[in-house]
Amino acid sequence: MPKIVLEHVCKRFDDFSAVEDLNMVIEDREFITLLGPSGCGKTTTLRMIAGLETPTEGRITIGDEVVFDSEKGINVSPAKRDIGFLFQNYALWPHMTVYQNIAFGLENLKWPKDKIRERVDEMLKMLKIEQFEKRYPSELSGGQQQRVAIARTLAPKPKVLFMDEPLSNLDAKLRLEMRTELKRLHADTDSTFVYVTHDQLEAMTLATRVCLIENGYMQQYAPPLETYSNPANLFVADFVGNPTMNFYETTGKVTGPNTAEVNFFDHPFVFTSKELLGEYSGEGFVVGIRPEFVNLEEGGLIGKIYATLPAGMETTVKLQVGDYILTSVMFGNVDYKVNDEMHFEVAGDGIILFDKKTGKNLGKGTLTI
Amino acid sequence: MKNTQRLPLGNRMKSYFSKPANVICVVFLVLLILMVVLPLFTLLIGSLTVNGNQEAIYIGNGAAEGDFTFHHWTELLTSKEFDYASIKFWIPLWQSTLMALLACAVAVGFGGIVAWFITRSDLPGKKYISTIFVFPYIMPSWAMAMFWENFFKNTEMNAGMGMLQSVTGICVPERIVYGLFPCAMSLGLHYAPFAYILIGGILRNMDANLEEAATVLKTSRFKILRRITLPIVMPALVSTVLLVFSSSISSFTVPFFLNKSSINSGNNFISISVQMRSLINSGFTKGQGYVLAIILMLFSIGILTLNNWFTGSRRSFTTVTGKSGQVSLVKLGKARIIVAIILLIVVTFFAIMPLFSFAMESLLEVPGDWSTFTLRYWLSTEAFEGSNKGDTIGILRSGLMWRAMGRSLLLSVIVSLVAGTFGLLIGYAVARKRNSKLATTVSDLAFLPYLIPSMSFGAVYLALSYTKGFTWLDGSFFLLILVGSIKFMPFASRTGTSAMLQLSGEIEEAAIIIGVPWFKRMTKVLFPIQKASFISGYLLPFISCMREMSLFVLLAASYTTLVTTVLQEYSRTGLTQASNAINLLIIVFVLVIQFVVNKLTGASIDKGVGGN
Repeated sequence: MPKIVLEHVCKRFDDFSAVEDLNMVIEDREFITLLGPSGCGKTTTLRMIAGLETPTEGRITIGDEVVFDSEKGINVSPAKRDIGFLFQNYALWPHMTVYQNIAFGLENLKWPKDKIRERVDEMLKMLKIEQFEKRYPSELSGGQQQRVAIARTLAPKPKVLFMDEPLSNLDAKLRLEMRTELKRLHADTDSTFVYVTHDQLEAMTLATRVCLIENGYMQQYAPPLETYSNPANLFVADFVGNPTMNFYETTGKVTGPNTAEVNFFDHPFVFTSKELLGEYSGEGFVVGIRPEFVNLEEGGLIGKIYATLPAGMETTVKLQVGDYILTSVMFGNVDYKVNDEMHFEVAGDGIILFDKKTGKNLGKGTLTI
Repeated sequence: MKNTQRLPLGNRMKSYFSKPANVICVVFLVLLILMVVLPLFTLLIGSLTVNGNQEAIYIGNGAAEGDFTFHHWTELLTSKEFDYASIKFWIPLWQSTLMALLACAVAVGFGGIVAWFITRSDLPGKKYISTIFVFPYIMPSWAMAMFWENFFKNTEMNAGMGMLQSVTGICVPERIVYGLFPCAMSLGLHYAPFAYILIGGILRNMDANLEEAATVLKTSRFKILRRITLPIVMPALVSTVLLVFSSSISSFTVPFFLNKSSINSGNNFISISVQMRSLINSGFTKGQGYVLAIILMLFSIGILTLNNWFTGSRRSFTTVTGKSGQVSLVKLGKARIIVAIILLIVVTFFAIMPLFSFAMESLLEVPGDWSTFTLRYWLSTEAFEGSNKGDTIGILRSGLMWRAMGRSLLLSVIVSLVAGTFGLLIGYAVARKRNSKLATTVSDLAFLPYLIPSMSFGAVYLALSYTKGFTWLDGSFFLLILVGSIKFMPFASRTGTSAMLQLSGEIEEAAIIIGVPWFKRMTKVLFPIQKASFISGYLLPFISCMREMSLFVLLAASYTTLVTTVLQEYSRTGLTQASNAINLLIIVFVLVIQFVVNKLTGASIDKGVGGN
């Protein structure tokens, strides 16, 4: 069964490197998202696994077959990797009808005519595009084109499906709808999905595991909730979650194997982790607090209301404490007056302590006076 | 008060003409109707009236000058007397069509393959190949024909020793040297770079994902080419075929140089354009010549309509912009070096060998015989017999030649400035007023001169300069400027339009908002952004004009007017060495200009295709 293994994969262009020493295992039937800002190397990674791009170094294995090995000079063509690829711009062939677009791959596999007809009908029905069978791509809307592209990709029943930001050209509503359908599709097809996106919400909601990439380096490879609640470093913490995590840069010292003293808004706080703290460089901390761990109207710390942003189900409150703007999220609909004084506290056991210099996660725990 | 009440006409006009694009459209509509449509109309009238006394005698039946008659049409198309219609019209038409089709096949095949290698594969040496490959297109179209003759002619057919014979001793049969086949080959090779520029442009802009999508679906490389790439570039291919076909079928110079077949060899080839010239030049059959000119034009317009229908269908090519930047080039593997070497040799051969052959021919008294090496045709001050005073055999010493060169240069500069600026303005107006009927009409009219064969275009204006009220045009330099500017405007207007279409309207609107006047927007904002493209729009008319012969041959006051007519005179009097020398001079001059402009501004006629 197709388990995908990447070992020491690098891609360097003339003067910069797109992907550096990437090691990754994608288990069978997983739904992996490659997440990162534009230009971080996620599309390049996907294209290298698919065989559309040749890595500079490393080894890629799909199932039992080594499809690329720079040392042994193996480079299997994408046609022989048994994969499906969904392009960001769909890449529908403008000179073929919807039917011809979907049937083309099956013709290449030398399926008999009646089988092709049957399979295409099945795909058309599954994606609810039966009525467009005889149209050309230029006569379809964006969402319809996207469905045709999905149908074309799925028709030959690929064991591995690669998707390069397939939803980014759709409007917000359609994007939500398609997200549900993709997740459903993954459950229905028993294929392994690898999905590239720069939208953290998309990555979180779809994936079984998220791979975060920055500047060609892998930052964290973990289930979505893990990247949210226990980010490996400042980049991941900042990139995942909306509204973003509060980062409070400060000083302090390690006082025990799992405790540290942290200067928090001019008060000495104690950070207690359940596990041993990571290695500290000694050059300052960054305290990472998710907005839901900032409770208002309680505790002894005092700030001023900077802005209130109600969204219906929850409300984001911006609090000014000295020069610092703290973000808090409250369930329900509240409205505070700007510049009112407000008590707040930091609660819960999900506070993250980062090393300011290396950006690494030192530990996760509680912050108490 | 009804709020649907429209503005008074005066105000509506005022608001309409406050937009520069509208002004340009209207001005050019009027100008093009005067310059293109009206002369064509005179041509049509000419084909339906008795032109001059000789024609009246020829027609007989009491016909008088100026009478209305269908005689030209019926005589040329249907007369069975001595097989007149078939000899004068149907056979040349058939042969010319064959020649043009063959030329298309060569141009599109050769140019298309090179375009594919340059844009889609990891071929080494792309930059060199791309630069060198366009040489034959920069040369005058007859250069390839002269080279063909220089290369293949042999003593067995009493034509002097060609390069092939002097190196290998092989004598090829006459039909390879003169007649339909070599005409088609030289035209095909001349237009191959043109096909390369058009097809390469499409291939480069085509979304590579379309091919990758097929690769992932297990399509073989050949099948991708056949089922995906070819159908998508089909509109460009069809346009290329159309343009090459209409240029080839009406080409005058190439068949003129290569129809020296000995009589009774069974290899007689008279192209329709050569036929047209001989009909027009004879006072008895001017009207029939006009008929031929009209038929040639109808041919071209017919294909253009077909082309529009073809590219306008529902399968039309819509691009969803994506990550096309990530073009992965096809790995040629082991074939990489072999293909590169073959291409290098072939391309270099057709680019450099003509120059070499012209140089050699100009330096040898007896072709192929090195013992007769001489500089006489470059430097001698002996008088050139049977011509005006001051003309010498050595072309570098000939004052007439240099004056003609100067006039050619002046003409080309003026023509390129006029045609280039007009093209740019038309491009601007068409891009801004896209989809409006007026803009489409202007764009079509500006392209029309391309479809009119140079010879008939010359004939049209010749006819005009004999018309009452326009006689001051006859033989004037202004007439040459006028004809050149109109004839070469299509290049500039196409380049200008495509460059302007690439600029989004917002770029100009941003300047409008901060109150930059129109002229400044053009010169300070739009022009600099697409500088290279626009300069190409000036360069193309310049080069085309500098090397043009058939357009001016009827209009020049005497053979001394332009350097190309001087060349033709030397060739006609049998001084092949001198004509080869002038040929070399023109080509080197044009190549140097192209090279200098390219170095200074980055503009070149192969821009956007090769080797970045």
